[in-house]
Amino acid sequence: MSALVAQQALIANTSNNIANVNTPGYTRREVALLNRVDAASVHSSFTFGSGVEVGTIRRITSSFLESAVRDAASRQGMANVSNDYLGRIESMFSLSGPQPTIGSTLNDFFSSVNTVGVNPYSVDDRIVLLQRGEDLVNAIKSTYNTVAQTQTELDNQVPQEVKQVNDLTKQIAALNDLIQKRKGSNVPSIDEQDQRDALLTKLAEKITFSAAEMENGMMNVSLANGFPLVSGTTSRDLDFTYTPSFGGASLPPSLEGRTLGYIVYNFGTETSPSHLDLTKTIKGGMGSLGGILQLRGYADVSNTSAFEADGDLVAVATRIEALTRSLLTEANARYLGPDEDPTTTGWQSSAGDLLGGSPGVFGLFDFDYSGTKDADGDGVPSASDLLASGMSHFSSYIRFAVTDPQKFAAALDNDTTIGSVVFPAGDGQNAVALASLKQEVRTLSSGPFSLTGTFDELYSSTVNYVGATKSKAETDVAVAKAAQVSAQTKRDELSAVSLDEEFANLIKYQKAFQASARIIKTASDMLDQLVALI
Amino acid sequence: MTRISESQFTRSLIEHTASNKARVDKYSEQVATGIKAALPSDSTDSGVIARYKQQMDRIDGYMTTISRVKSYVQFQDDALSQMDELILRSKEIASQGANESLTPKARAFLAEEVFQIRDQIVGLGNSSYQGRYVYGGADDDDPPFDATEYDEPVAGPAAVKYEFDAELGTSQTRPVHITDDVTVTLNTPGGDVFGTSIEALERLGRALAGYATTPASGGPDGGGAAYTFPTDYTQQTADIKYTIDLLNKARDEDILPERTMLGGKMRRLETAEALLTLSKTSAQEVLSKIQNADETESVANLTQAQTALQASYSVTAKALRLTIMDYI
Repeated sequence: MSALVAQQALIANTSNNIANVNTPGYTRREVALLNRVDAASVHSSFTFGSGVEVGTIRRITSSFLESAVRDAASRQGMANVSNDYLGRIESMFSLSGPQPTIGSTLNDFFSSVNTVGVNPYSVDDRIVLLQRGEDLVNAIKSTYNTVAQTQTELDNQVPQEVKQVNDLTKQIAALNDLIQKRKGSNVPSIDEQDQRDALLTKLAEKITFSAAEMENGMMNVSLANGFPLVSGTTSRDLDFTYTPSFGGASLPPSLEGRTLGYIVYNFGTETSPSHLDLTKTIKGGMGSLGGILQLRGYADVSNTSAFEADGDLVAVATRIEALTRSLLTEANARYLGPDEDPTTTGWQSSAGDLLGGSPGVFGLFDFDYSGTKDADGDGVPSASDLLASGMSHFSSYIRFAVTDPQKFAAALDNDTTIGSVVFPAGDGQNAVALASLKQEVRTLSSGPFSLTGTFDELYSSTVNYVGATKSKAETDVAVAKAAQVSAQTKRDELSAVSLDEEFANLIKYQKAFQASARIIKTASDMLDQLVALI
Repeated sequence: MTRISESQFTRSLIEHTASNKARVDKYSEQVATGIKAALPSDSTDSGVIARYKQQMDRIDGYMTTISRVKSYVQFQDDALSQMDELILRSKEIASQGANESLTPKARAFLAEEVFQIRDQIVGLGNSSYQGRYVYGGADDDDPPFDATEYDEPVAGPAAVKYEFDAELGTSQTRPVHITDDVTVTLNTPGGDVFGTSIEALERLGRALAGYATTPASGGPDGGGAAYTFPTDYTQQTADIKYTIDLLNKARDEDILPERTMLGGKMRRLETAEALLTLSKTSAQEVLSKIQNADETESVANLTQAQTALQASYSVTAKALRLTIMDYI
């Protein structure tokens, strides 16, 4: 009889394995059979054995392989985020195709300035220049805004991700509780362990953590800095806040001029919080949350500008901003021409347009700002004027100041009298001087970024940065994918269900069942014969 | 013993099919567009590509400028070649007029042609290109040579005096970038080219017509009374002869050097154009090497990828049909 029961258990287990052949995270089970020990037969000289006993049901798994799967999931989570988001940015720096980029519009603009230098009186050429100026400003704005909006979008994703992490840690803690209780009452908790492994893999897709199984079967989960997310049966909920207790009155701005949130743990209360900053730790790891934070960047609360934060998007935006600031200061200053009257304070423009007027301080490239733009009042735009406006990013607010083709100041003053200006219609000296700005080497900077070179060099270095970062993300995706496939394959090799094996086993168990049944029948026949003798 | 589980088996079939499909996609895009590096991440040389592209754009800009400047210079050269012929003709008339066998009346007949030549030269000096006065310097929206009057006579061509506009900007030259570091001057102020010739022709015409011009040398001040014959006949001859020197001076010091300079400019423009074309070609070569797809290679790759994809499909289809149940 014990054999029949045992074979039935084996068949039931096989059928469970087959049923779960497509269940993700399912680990195949094995029924351990033991030959039954009969204490009563010990003293007898002949022992035929007492049959078979169904032992425990085992999960065929390896914690090493499970952790390899989790690592791969983490890596893939991060690489996918980088690759997706950088893909969006990358198209703004296209190397082929008709869509205007900052690089192409920059060239077109300066070429059209040179053309106006040749034919200063040509209104047609001036109209082209105005369009090229608009194109350049629009390319800068849309590229910068795309980068900045992507940062905001990523920032908005963080709370959802944090919520999912909290849900997962909560469920893991709940399973810990269940597993520990079952272990205490010697009940197997195979399905719970399977579920917990699946949850850990899901958690690994979000963040990097280390997991350690305790004696009592519970799994502790902690971040790289040792902060425990799950400790036994309790989990700690992370918060996402824009008002961290460690921050000052105002936080550093984001690329869009908002603020970047922080992932924290609140040791205090709801009303008087005491926050522990975990953003940097999570950013240092992988997973989708690590990827999001690495792209979005981390701003130290002591920062004052959006460009001091780290992160790939910030690095790209910083380069665009460097170009914008140079256009606002250097191009405008060049456009003003030499100081007409050095004997008086302030800078009097010696450049003039077809209508005889001279440009203002931000005469070529202007920005939307309602306050005083030339804060120091020296008549020349400078980095300190920009700083004094208190604006964090000019790339979203830059605009082309010339709207009337006749009012592009292509000429320079032609008389030598100080304080009086005369502009012949055919003079294009100022346009020629402005056009040569493009070839000049200068220091282009914003925030901690600084490059000594031409506009072209700045742009191509930006393209290079975007390209290198994106192709690194692509490589990461490929590597992570390969690692994930290999880890999953290794895990499946050990833990997943093989139908061939199960079928072969099924037949084996069926045969054994038949054999056991046959023995009962044989015994019954023998008994019948004996009975017939009577 | 290696276990091959169901999920492992199907996963690897799916992975291989997907990666082969991705390759077909990649190569068919390359074949369709002819471009290997369309986005920065497609190439490790994306910065270089961007730089070359900008260089090519810049070259295109300069090429446009050069072709404009070339036609402008060509226009000036045509004007000067006409002028040279006119000056030679004037010299002939002057030599003829200086002959003392001619009576003042006969000389006066010659004056008419001289004034016509002068007006033609003034016309050249006031010539406009695309609506702008070529010799007006930066003040090119009104004619550089303006007509005033001599005190005597009161009417007729001999009474008209042409002066180079003294307004600001007329004597300004206009430099233009034709490459990153080469500039050419677009124009020569009209006074330098036509001033002496017009003065010489005016003096010659007036002398032949019977009027002295003051002062005796240098720019005319608008004064000068009629000669009294026969007393002033020798003076008239001397005045005519003086204009021959003046015409020679105009030709040697203004017209010929200006034509040489225009020739030089034209050569510089052509050299710059050739160099730009050359560097554009080489930039294009480099670009096509690093950015364009090699058609043969892409097509070969595509075919290979397609074959691989077909193979994956048929292997997948066959492998998935296999089951132990068919054999037990």
